[in-house]
Amino acid sequence: MKTGVSVFIAAFVALGASWCGFVLAPVLQLGGAKQTVVLQSTDNWPLQRIGEATLGLQVYRAYGCAACHSEQVRQTGAAFEVTLTSLGVQKPSDFVDFTKSLFVLPELADYTNAIATSLNGWKGGLPKTLLTCTDKDIATEMADRLKAVGVKSETGIIATGADIARGWGSRLSVAADYLYDQPVQLGSLRAGPDLANIGVRAPDANWQLQHLYAPKSVTPTSTMPSFKFLFEVRKIGATPSPDALNLPKEFAAADGYEIVPKPEAKQLAAYLLSLKANVPLYEAPFTPAAK
Amino acid sequence: MSDECPACSVPSAGEPSATRSAAPMWIIVVTLVLLFLGGIYFDRHSGWFDAKVYAPYNSTENLGAYQPQSGAAAELARGKKTYEAVCGICHGPDGLGKPGQAPPLAGSEWVVAKGVNRLAHIPLAGLAGPIQVAGKEWSLNMAAMGAALPDDSLAAVLTYIRSSWGNLAPPVTGDDIKKIRAAVGAGGQPATSEVLLKLPE
Repeated sequence: MKTGVSVFIAAFVALGASWCGFVLAPVLQLGGAKQTVVLQSTDNWPLQRIGEATLGLQVYRAYGCAACHSEQVRQTGAAFEVTLTSLGVQKPSDFVDFTKSLFVLPELADYTNAIATSLNGWKGGLPKTLLTCTDKDIATEMADRLKAVGVKSETGIIATGADIARGWGSRLSVAADYLYDQPVQLGSLRAGPDLANIGVRAPDANWQLQHLYAPKSVTPTSTMPSFKFLFEVRKIGATPSPDALNLPKEFAAADGYEIVPKPEAKQLAAYLLSLKANVPLYEAPFTPAAK
Repeated sequence: MSDECPACSVPSAGEPSATRSAAPMWIIVVTLVLLFLGGIYFDRHSGWFDAKVYAPYNSTENLGAYQPQSGAAAELARGKKTYEAVCGICHGPDGLGKPGQAPPLAGSEWVVAKGVNRLAHIPLAGLAGPIQVAGKEWSLNMAAMGAALPDDSLAAVLTYIRSSWGNLAPPVTGDDIKKIRAAVGAGGQPATSEVLLKLPE
């Protein structure tokens, strides 16, 4: 073969270029990632998993949860939200009249109309979201005008997008969230809901265990397979096990028996509870709900 | 070998061989066009990687606009806005003042004074008569421009002018202004340089 050397060089360059693109470049870009800091606080993010949650990641991986669940919240935009927190001395009805004169410029009429619509049928309940807009200057202007008449408001930043609307998270997932995941379980298919924030959405370990044992017992329409093999059916001894599941009648074990999670199930539940993406970061800002 | 396998001895057209030939011109053109379009796409879609910037944000400036502002930074931003709307028309957005209209605020000893009492009297009560500012005498009247501003807005403005353009004086709080506003009272006479100098700092 006369062209052996050229073929070798061409193949080497082709493979080398993809290696540089897929391996070397990401390592150079994100390889040095460190813990970051939660916005407007001194708390570190993320925190290393401890105990059972660490082992749970491997259980999650072993049973292929990532085949049907993703761990990444997507965001398509961000907006500013002006929320009324106190009316001061004004009466709600006076305030509604006042909002009609907030923006008198014709090009801003849409905002005045939006506020009027949102105040339709408002009885004075606070806090009340007045305006959601993507223009920072409008939001600031609005807050200033409210302030000038002695009404208190807060301007918050909210993430927008389908995932956010579904309640799967408050912000997009960023590289820092996965700092301690080995391997990262991003997932690429959503037969089930996204789990990036499941530890906040379903913070009860018993709920998680019951859901693993019999998904339909908590979500009747669930298509998730039951993970019964992570549990043990035991004869109730002298005293019932404190870990035993408290199931509805049609899912419960026969009389005199109880269903107890094996260590793997507990680890998996601990891992699921550790999945949180609910703090604002520099790269993913939002205003957390007031506690 | 050919003796044992007559079929193998059938004369063939000969071994195929590779030769060098020029690549067709269209392949070269298409490749270059694709590279060019790729370059445009790369540049448009923030190809310049930043580990802190994710879609939907496309640059650090864009991301910066969404950072919550609080504390000193927000106070200054608010003060700047009010300053530019109310005070900047005469005193200038750069705080250098305008000859025949208003004295400078940058480097003015009235602005960077240790206490804020004398300074806050000027927007709250107005000012009349001659006054020495940064080694020059000015004699212009100023209306009580700050009397209509809420306490914390005026505090933000004073904080802004005290810490901008090279001025380095401590911030002012809404409570400071509240006290001074009570001392000034409503609808009084504009202050003069002598009256101000008699006040505590």
